[in-house]
Amino acid sequence: MQNQEQRFKFTGNGTEYFGIWMVNLLLSILTLGIYSAWAKVRRMQYFYRNTWLNDASFDYHGTAIAILKGRIIAIVLFASYSIFLQFMPAVGLTIALLIALIMPYLLVISFRFRLYNSSYRGLRFGFTGSIKGAYFAFLALPFFTLLTLYLLAPFTHQRIKAYQHSNSRFGQSAFSFHAGAGGFYMIYLFTLLQLLLIAGLFAFGGYTLARDSIASLSREAIVGIVVAAYFLLILASLLVVPFFMSRIQNLVWNHTQLGEHHFSSTLSARGLAWIIFTNFFLIIFTMGLYKPFADIRIARYRVEHMALLPAGNIEEFIASEQQKIGATGTETAEMFDVDIGF
Amino acid sequence: MSTSAFNPVISDNPVTPAHTLGAIYYDGLSSRQQAVTLRIAQGQLEVQGDELLRVIPLADVNISAKLGRTPRLLHFKDGGHCEVSNHTDFGVLMQAAGIHEKSLLSTLESNWRYALAATVFTICFVIAAFYWGLPWVAAVAAERVPASVALRIDEHFLDAVDDDLMQPSKLSTKRQQALSKRFDSLRNVQGEVAHKLVYRNSKAIGANAFALPGGTILITDQLVKLAGHDEEILAVLAHELGHVHERHSLRQLLQSSVVGLAMTWYLGDISTLLAAAPTLLLETRYSRNFERRADSYAATMLSANNISPSRLADMLEKLESSHADGDKDMEEQSSSITEFISTHPDTAKRIRALRGKE
Ligand SMILES: [Zn+2]
Repeated sequence: MQNQEQRFKFTGNGTEYFGIWMVNLLLSILTLGIYSAWAKVRRMQYFYRNTWLNDASFDYHGTAIAILKGRIIAIVLFASYSIFLQFMPAVGLTIALLIALIMPYLLVISFRFRLYNSSYRGLRFGFTGSIKGAYFAFLALPFFTLLTLYLLAPFTHQRIKAYQHSNSRFGQSAFSFHAGAGGFYMIYLFTLLQLLLIAGLFAFGGYTLARDSIASLSREAIVGIVVAAYFLLILASLLVVPFFMSRIQNLVWNHTQLGEHHFSSTLSARGLAWIIFTNFFLIIFTMGLYKPFADIRIARYRVEHMALLPAGNIEEFIASEQQKIGATGTETAEMFDVDIGF
Repeated sequence: MSTSAFNPVISDNPVTPAHTLGAIYYDGLSSRQQAVTLRIAQGQLEVQGDELLRVIPLADVNISAKLGRTPRLLHFKDGGHCEVSNHTDFGVLMQAAGIHEKSLLSTLESNWRYALAATVFTICFVIAAFYWGLPWVAAVAAERVPASVALRIDEHFLDAVDDDLMQPSKLSTKRQQALSKRFDSLRNVQGEVAHKLVYRNSKAIGANAFALPGGTILITDQLVKLAGHDEEILAVLAHELGHVHERHSLRQLLQSSVVGLAMTWYLGDISTLLAAAPTLLLETRYSRNFERRADSYAATMLSANNISPSRLADMLEKLESSHADGDKDMEEQSSSITEFISTHPDTAKRIRALRGKE
């Protein structure tokens, strides 16, 4: 039996979030960045608690201290790498190698942290991916991808998503992932075609200019053309990136299941492009003050194009054994969040 | 959209007695929603539903801080929790129970006057930090940078500009040695300053001199040629020694790096900043204050050695006209990389100040 689809709803509000964002920013500046961990908790709670499914909201439980610990580790790692690379390249490269070697481990920790600290209807999510699996997905495969000159990139992307999604669970129910690599190859192919088309247009424009008039142009005009080309390049990336993002998100979620329940994601490249495009310019014109409104807009668009297709009663999920032990279980004590954008 | 739309209990109960409140209960063991009524009496929270009655001491209830219009959450020790969407009724319940909720954070966040004040304050704070805080921190930090690290920056800088912007000096070794010897023989009443003179030929940069963070003073052949008298060269070197003495180059580098770091923090790329460090040094334009202090340092040093500070003024004039006379392209290039002389009106003021010191 297929019940009616349950759409995700987002109730965050730009004006309301502006106050939260500004206070976060102010306190982060005044405390030289230390408050930013508390700011993250507040920001995450605001977005999670404003995300609704079937009359219930999500919640975020991460603690600021754990986030702060993770941030300090990340900053120390990357700062030491950057500084040593500048003045003692050999040491810098060794550090880079070390970072690459521990990166999969840090990623697993951060997935565990993020999922365990997310809840819906009082039940925690969780991540059960093995460290070994992470080393395969985040170190071995990317390495082979380099060797094959990126021909393996879509396959690697598929394996990474499969590792993340099929190792996630909600309460005792497991997520599963069913998208094959073929879909990823198609998206990469179309993205590549778009990039080639844009590159071709640029080359044609440059060639026409060079043939006709380059000699007669003043230096200012050439500078103007270079600036215009740079501008067009930004525009092009504002079109290609949303295409890629929306197609991947749709592919991934349309092939993800939670137990017997399915999801549907219907992001449109055009809709996403419009939001990213207008956000980009509004943030620039307001010197950053539009940022909280932009965050809300993009979150609303992404959340409200998701739906759950229940295969039965969604009141029947039960808590995992781990959660029953209590939120102060031994595992959480040693957990910290590492800020790694993925 | 109001969040209370998601809470059927409130709308179903038009005659809610005072001090009770509709909520949704989750037991933390399953995803089941249960409509409940909350009541607070004698320091205890009563949670009553169709198949449920729990009485929990208020001390064991963790009430989430207010966050916009998101639901208020009451967490219990066993993992269960209640969600309340109606903020007004929640406030009434809390008040009736004698709990005074004062969340400074939420007050700041939700009042537009505070938000506006925070915006203005943040902008003022950033500006103040940029003009006063940063130079102070940079000065303190520059004192603590080990000499060996500063020297590495000099080497790094020379590696980066050699071949590309600068070539080996065409001055004879004899001439270089004579100049260095003469400069080193000057008495320095303001204390010895570790430094090293290097000569370079640079058509691209023209007549100029730089003080690098580690105490290396770089002087171009073009400047040596422009000078009508060796004392003018010594005057320029004394000015640069003033920059070295007060670590102006390092301080400026630290300041620019912090500004760059703050900018890239938002965009998220540290490596581009560090790669730009050598050019950052070249494009450095010292603050007026740094120039004034280096001029006065030079004037003191020159006077102590019976050289007139007006030698420095002469050199400033020559440099200004040499940079102004150069063809247009040349000027554009040099105006962005000029350290010793900047073609701004301050130069006239500096010249007058130096002449006054005679
Ligand atoms: Zn100077």
